[in-house]
Amino acid sequence: MKKAQPWIGLLARLILGGVLLVAGYLKAFTPDKSMMAVRAYEILPIWLANAIGIILPWLEIGAGLLLIIGVGIRYSAIFGSALMVLFIIAIAQAWARGLSIDCGCFGGGGTIDPSQTKYLEEILRDIGLALLGLYLLRYPNTKFALEKNKSREPKSSEQLTPGE
Amino acid sequence: MSSKTPKGPDNVTRNLVIGMVVLVVAVGAIFSVLSNKENTSAALPSSVSQEDGYGIVFNGDLTGVPVIDIWEDFQCPVCARFEQTNGDYIEKLIEEKKAKVVFHTLSFLGPESSLAANAAACASDENKFLGFHRAFYQNLPAENSGAITTDYLVALGKFVGITSDKFKSCVANLDYKGWVNNVAASGGKANVNSTPTVFVNGKEIRRATSGADLGDYFDPAAFAKAVEGK
Repeated sequence: MKKAQPWIGLLARLILGGVLLVAGYLKAFTPDKSMMAVRAYEILPIWLANAIGIILPWLEIGAGLLLIIGVGIRYSAIFGSALMVLFIIAIAQAWARGLSIDCGCFGGGGTIDPSQTKYLEEILRDIGLALLGLYLLRYPNTKFALEKNKSREPKSSEQLTPGE
Repeated sequence: MSSKTPKGPDNVTRNLVIGMVVLVVAVGAIFSVLSNKENTSAALPSSVSQEDGYGIVFNGDLTGVPVIDIWEDFQCPVCARFEQTNGDYIEKLIEEKKAKVVFHTLSFLGPESSLAANAAACASDENKFLGFHRAFYQNLPAENSGAITTDYLVALGKFVGITSDKFKSCVANLDYKGWVNNVAASGGKANVNSTPTVFVNGKEIRRATSGADLGDYFDPAAFAKAVEGK
């Protein structure tokens, strides 16, 4: 298990990073659509939703690149996990309020036909991705990362290492 | 094992990589924000009103009639369906001066939507917007298949009776590119989250709630009722 852990970490990095990179890339060059997708959740004021729609894809690309290269793993992993938790909340509230929208996670988005909503799949996928991020936060020591990280062992001496 | 190597993290490489990624993100985000800003000096086609969200307006001078705002994307098949369902009725309302109608041609489905929206604006200058609009949807090519080109749009213009060289150059040179972006930006402000979105007197008409329900969008009688308020 100890030997496998850096390999699992590598896999987690590539999956979470890959998903973020692809998701960002697919949206970054269609900002109109991406802004529309954020607005369709009907949580945020329109100006804020539009700002997020335009900027978030680039942040996803950034976090995805860092995870894949293996630099600043802890930070990009916590960013990815936090993002997934926000997505889960957003999708769940849309579901609960009876909106019919596409999550717009990989481009697309906006109001769709009620028969085409996939809230459960979207939420389960995001839970999985959030868990990968948490795994990396706990075990950032992974194979083929540019930056070497020590995983936090449950040793008392290392427990309180500041996260600098 | 790699964890045994005494060397710590290579800080220069690490910071360099982080710096590069931050640069990519910042440049990309700033570029996106700037290119999405409303351009107040953009050339506007005739019959466009900035107050009406840069839409192409018919019967703008009428008062006391219903105002219909149609937000659409030329590449959206559901918009083609809306046009096929209600196009005749809407054209009749315009002809008989029974409603003010504003067409907002969004372009979020892809670059070919922008080409089409630009060409529609060029057609508007020739007073052939409605004909072009109808002919375009009747021959709707597959989304982003590369079918919508300058030649295609000029040929479509010819089909509805536009032969001027001005139209050709307007289509080829994307004369109204800035305007197309402004329409997109105003769609964001109007909180339009799908196409088609139709407002009658500022209120969205009823959207279908299930497969069997056509809503106001695809039931001609319901749409007429929503417009005329009867």
